[in-house]
Amino acid sequence: MAVFKLEDFSFTYAGETNPALHDISFSVTEGEFLLLCGLSGCGKTTLLRQLKPAIAPRGRRTGEILFNGQPLRLAPPRSQAAEIGYVMQSPEEQAVTDKVWHELAFGLENLGLESRAIRLRTAEMASFFGIQDWFERDVSSLSGGQKQLLNLAAVMAMQPKVLLLDEPTSQLDPIAAADFLAAVKKINVELGVAVMMVEQRLQEVFPLADRVAVMDRGAILIDAAPRNAGLKLMQTHHPMARALPSAMQIAGALGGDSPLPLTVREGRRWLRGFLRDGAPAREKPEQESKEEGEPAVLMKDCWFAYEKNGTDIIRDLSLRIPKQKLFCILGGNGTGKTTALRLMAGLQKPYRGKIRVSGKVAVLPQNPQTLFLKSTLAADLADMLGFAENRDAKVKEIAELTELTALLGRHPYDLSGGEQQRAALAKVLLTQPDLLLMDEPTKGLDAHFKIRFSEILRTLMRRGVSIVMVSHDIEFCAENADLCALFFNGNVAAQGRACPFFAGNSFYTTAANRISREWFAQAVTNGDVVEQCEKIQG
Amino acid sequence: MKTNDFAKLHPVILFTYFTAVILFSMFFMHPVFLAISFFCGFLWAVSLAPRETLRFTLKCILPLAVLMTVINPMINHAGLTVLLYVNDRPITLEACAYGAASAAMFSSVLLWFSCSNRIMTAEKFISLFGRAAPSFSLLLSMVMRFVPRFKAQTRAIAEAQDGLGRGVDSGSLPTRAKNGMKILSILTTWALENGVITADSMRARGYGLPGRGRFQIYRFDSRDKWMLTILSALIFAVLFGFIKGENSIRYFPFLSLPPFSPFSFFLYICYFLLCSYPMLFNAVCEVKYHGGF
Repeated sequence: MAVFKLEDFSFTYAGETNPALHDISFSVTEGEFLLLCGLSGCGKTTLLRQLKPAIAPRGRRTGEILFNGQPLRLAPPRSQAAEIGYVMQSPEEQAVTDKVWHELAFGLENLGLESRAIRLRTAEMASFFGIQDWFERDVSSLSGGQKQLLNLAAVMAMQPKVLLLDEPTSQLDPIAAADFLAAVKKINVELGVAVMMVEQRLQEVFPLADRVAVMDRGAILIDAAPRNAGLKLMQTHHPMARALPSAMQIAGALGGDSPLPLTVREGRRWLRGFLRDGAPAREKPEQESKEEGEPAVLMKDCWFAYEKNGTDIIRDLSLRIPKQKLFCILGGNGTGKTTALRLMAGLQKPYRGKIRVSGKVAVLPQNPQTLFLKSTLAADLADMLGFAENRDAKVKEIAELTELTALLGRHPYDLSGGEQQRAALAKVLLTQPDLLLMDEPTKGLDAHFKIRFSEILRTLMRRGVSIVMVSHDIEFCAENADLCALFFNGNVAAQGRACPFFAGNSFYTTAANRISREWFAQAVTNGDVVEQCEKIQG
Repeated sequence: MKTNDFAKLHPVILFTYFTAVILFSMFFMHPVFLAISFFCGFLWAVSLAPRETLRFTLKCILPLAVLMTVINPMINHAGLTVLLYVNDRPITLEACAYGAASAAMFSSVLLWFSCSNRIMTAEKFISLFGRAAPSFSLLLSMVMRFVPRFKAQTRAIAEAQDGLGRGVDSGSLPTRAKNGMKILSILTTWALENGVITADSMRARGYGLPGRGRFQIYRFDSRDKWMLTILSALIFAVLFGFIKGENSIRYFPFLSLPPFSPFSFFLYICYFLLCSYPMLFNAVCEVKYHGGF
């Protein structure tokens, strides 16, 4: 039986004329894992919210949404609240109360359950998620990934029949995201709860999903099993194809037919079959060449701790960052990446060692919202320039570079995640920095905008800007970085040009490299693998 | 003391206890009562957090107490027993005594508050008010959630602005003030914007449905019943003495104490038991549950 069934559903936001969703027909069956994907602004979230009337935006609806065979609008509020679970993007804002146990109990209190019943259900959920140790802790003492897991557990305590997830991992680092997705899969498989998930991390979610729906401009473009959906995306050269799992992209580009490989394991098997005849011997990785010339940043024997007798966050760090290059700092959480960035920005001083930075520095913080001060984007950008003469011209120029011209009249907080990131970048660029420091700039960006973003970075480097970015996004760094450094325990564990750097790592590397490392020493991106294969095929 | 069993009592008992002791400490100016309250308050505060209490006492309470003791006779010239004249103004014994008593009262109230802060966590307060005003208790809990986030966001914004070279630490004073104001105004926007998400999260989880229940994490068990009974008995005894005027004292125009009697002696013991109640309770528990000291 279908949990949700939509028949020719259309929706127009109040006060607008063009529908945000049109003629949508699809269903979610019991116990199914459905992935809903599409570019930013295609209507994914709008659609997901229609399925949860308590938070559905206002507007005009036509067509019908059936929930368990009954029209959703007729379902009693109590069953809507309990049976349809909804988890949003931001781990922070979703948590309502200050204590973990209270957060778990919050929904159950709303349903009017007795104290004893609440005790049992919270205990059950805490044990299911393995979070019983946090039970008495403050929500604010949890990490982002832990908070999001708590939000999921709090919704699950209400025992929903279907779970709606709106980009729940977009604010998490890869490890926390993997934990979260594993928890979702566990709920789906072990409790049989249907899952409908909007997600950008297709690489990880595609193998988990039973079915994939791709949205484009308010309509459902593709609704198929993951392998077929991927094939269709690639055949139509849809921008979303760039976000597909590497195995799929490589096989697709080499003319593979269905069934396409989904995971690294399947990708290897597929490549082995493909290369059966002409498998080359693995060549040695290129040797490093020494960097010459005046550096943009020079760190020598730096040590840093936040508290006087606290643990050292940065230990004996020496780093040389060349000019006009994109330098990526990778590594796990708490390895000192962000702290190193703060040292370069001069926001903190090392207690030992020297830092030399040439030219003007600007920082793009992790949360772009922290930069905006004014009520329109234009005013916010103009504010950066004070009373400079050709202020408007400069704002216009920067808006063009970052493609914000159409959005200048909007409130910065009303922009989407990707747009906010661009606006923040524009603002930072108005200070005309020589060195641009960025903390996780690709967090929450879709595949399409990541390409635009890397183009902007190229333009900046041509204009003489040096860029350092801290990132968890291995794929983006492999595609775009000139140099990469792997941080571990407050120091650089490995460093080098992007290609040999990733080719030299065996675990901390791209999926494409993990698929093909047996055959190609230098293939790091999907494009590299495809190119090498084509060379062999002649 | 290894464990703090007193803190594990039901919040209702804790709240009753602290309200009673702090109010009594405030209003009983009788020297014996003052001494008992100060002595027990100090001892307990030290046992809860030795280092912080000693620092707090030396740095804060002691200077204030000395100041109060010295200043009162300088500005208060009531009283009949003149000790000496300063600038033709009489310094009286009564004013000196009153100054010392106020200082003792003030110090013990501060000490009791420091104990109360350690024992009565926000969580316990919230659960307490939850009975009488459920929505108020939820509001408190949300505020407790919001405050650390607000602080963190303030720091993040200040640092982001600093990274652009327009922090509150750079530039001339007016510029800095202006930058500070901008940060404040954007914080409001941020709070409102993100409040919308929190509101959505609440509605999505059924907030606003009729018949909201409440999850009580604290259970009022039989031990709590007994302890509340003992506590009430002590409080009533002390209150009875107060009505009888046993612990009242007159400082002006001359010192007059109620006469000592077996009844007043009984009251002193009751008040001492009340003030040392947490320590006695912990000691008993230490022997009973944790196998001695």
